[in-house]
Amino acid sequence: MKKTGFLFDQRFLLHDTGPYHPERSERLSAIYQGIRDAGLMSHVSVMPAVLTDMKWVLDIHTQEYVRRFEELCLAGRRTLDSEDNQMSRDTWEAAQLAVGGVLEAARGIMAGDIDNAFCAVRPPGHHAESGEAMGFCYFNNVAIAARYFQKEWGVERVGIIDFDVHHGNGTQHVFEDDPTVYYYSIHQHPSFAYPGTGREFEMGSGRGYGFTKNSPVLPGQGDDEYRRLIEKDLLPAFRSFMPQVIILSTGFDAHQDDEMADMRVTTEGFAWIMRTMMALAETCSSGRLLSVLEGGYALERLPELGAGHVKILLDGE
Amino acid sequence: MFVSQSMTRKVITVSRQTPLVEAQALMQQHGIRHLPVVSAQNLLEGIITDRDIRSAFPYQTAKGESSRQEQERFAGMKVADVMTSDPITISPTHTLQDALLMIQESRVGAFPVVDQDRKLKGIISVRDLLRAFINVMGIGQPGTLLCVLVDDKVGQLKRIVDAITEEGISFGSVLVARYWEKDKRAVFPYLLTNNVIRVKKKLQAMGFTLLDPMKWYLDQLPKSDE
Repeated sequence: MKKTGFLFDQRFLLHDTGPYHPERSERLSAIYQGIRDAGLMSHVSVMPAVLTDMKWVLDIHTQEYVRRFEELCLAGRRTLDSEDNQMSRDTWEAAQLAVGGVLEAARGIMAGDIDNAFCAVRPPGHHAESGEAMGFCYFNNVAIAARYFQKEWGVERVGIIDFDVHHGNGTQHVFEDDPTVYYYSIHQHPSFAYPGTGREFEMGSGRGYGFTKNSPVLPGQGDDEYRRLIEKDLLPAFRSFMPQVIILSTGFDAHQDDEMADMRVTTEGFAWIMRTMMALAETCSSGRLLSVLEGGYALERLPELGAGHVKILLDGE
Repeated sequence: MFVSQSMTRKVITVSRQTPLVEAQALMQQHGIRHLPVVSAQNLLEGIITDRDIRSAFPYQTAKGESSRQEQERFAGMKVADVMTSDPITISPTHTLQDALLMIQESRVGAFPVVDQDRKLKGIISVRDLLRAFINVMGIGQPGTLLCVLVDDKVGQLKRIVDAITEEGISFGSVLVARYWEKDKRAVFPYLLTNNVIRVKKKLQAMGFTLLDPMKWYLDQLPKSDE
C-alpha cells in the first residue's frame, strides 16, 4: 500500500460562490464524505492547508493581477474579471490556502513523507491565466506546483495531465514555450465546451513546440474513446518525455451524470484512467503523483468518484 | 463591416516586367498566393497567383530535370506573360457580405481592392474573411456554445436572448441556421461563460429543445444546389 496524502481543509468551504453556482462548497463536502464513508481516512495522511508563500504565486501570476484579486475580494466585490468567477470575502484566503496546501503536498512527495497525494481544493485553478481569473479559477494551483517542483527541488521535467472535461487554457499558456513542462489535456471538443481552446493543432510554441498535446473528444463519447486517446496520445508521449514528477489536474466532470458537459465517462472509466495514471507514474516518475482537484459538479456522484480516486492512489494500481 | 476594415493594406505587389521567378520567390517568402500587378502609379494592371506560375512552370523544371532550354525559357518569362489582366476587383466601400458572396460566386481566392481610379488600396483574401468571421463568431473569447431548436416564427429569439440576459450572461455571438427541418430553426448562442447548467435548464423549462451537439449543423442546403 502507498503512503497517500489527502489535503482537505474546512476553510476551502468558505469560498462562497452564491446560491446558484455549480462550483460550490457541497462539492468538497461530497468528496470528503465519500472518502470517509469508504473507510479510507485511517489509511491516508490527512493534511490541512497552509497559506502559501506568495513568491510561488508570483512565479506564475502577475503582480498586477494578484493585487487586483486581493483588493477587489477584500473590498467585498462579488466577481473577478467575469461573472463566472463569483467571490466572497473569504475567497482570497481560500485561494492562498489551496496553493499552500498543494505545495505542502508537493513537498511531502519530494521529501519522501508520502508517495502521492490527492488535494481536494477550492477554488480550482486550471483556467486561471497569469493575469486573469477565468472559469471559476483564480490561482493556477497546478502551474504553481510545477514551478515549485523545479525551483525548490531541482526537478527538471514535470508532466501535467489534465482530464477535467474542460481544456486547461491557463496551464497550457503558462508552459506553452517551455520544453521542461509537458502539458497533456483530454477534454470535450472546444467547439462544444468552454473555454474554446485545446485543439489538436495547439502543440506548444518556440522551444516548447511538441511539449503540449491536446486530445479533444466529441460530445457523447465515453470510456472507449478516452481509453483510445489516452493510449494513443498520452502514454507514448510521456514514456518518451519521462517526467520526474506527474501532476494531475483531476476533474470529474466528464462523468455521464455531470451536466456541465456532454461526456459519458462512467465511474469505472474514471477508475481505469486513474489506474493508468498510477502505472504511468511507476514507469516515469518513481510513483511520484500529485493529484489536484479541478471540476466535477455531479454532487450525487462525487462521493464515489472521490473515494475511487483515493483508493487507487492507496492501492498503487 | 466594410472591406476597407478587414483587408490587408500592406500589399506585396509586382510589375508587369517582374521576372516570374522573382514573383514566385516573393510568394514563398511572404507565404501568400496572390500578387497584384501594378503600374508605377500604383494602378492595378492585373493579378498573378501561385497557380498561374505553376501552370507556366513545366513539371520537369520543378523537379530540376528539365533541359537547359526549358530552364532558360522559364527564366526569361515575365509576370505579364501569365497574369490575369482583368481580375475581379472590389472597392473599399463594399461590405464583407459582398466579398463573401463574390468569393463563393467567382471561386477566386482574393480580390484586389481598388478605388474609383483603379488605384490599389489593398487586397482581401479568404484568409481575411476567415479572420473577420472568427471575430463575428466570438470564438476568440472563452465561452460555451448552445444549440436551441425553435419554431420558425417571430419572437422566439427574443425569448432566448432575454432568458440568457436575465442570468447575467454575455453573448459572444448568436448564429441562426435557417435551413433546418421544416418550420424549425436552430439558434446557436455562444455564451461567454463556463456556467451553463442553470441557463440550459431554464431554456428547457421554457419549452425549448436543446439539441444533441453531435446533431448540430449550420447549413443544410437542398442537394440540387450543389
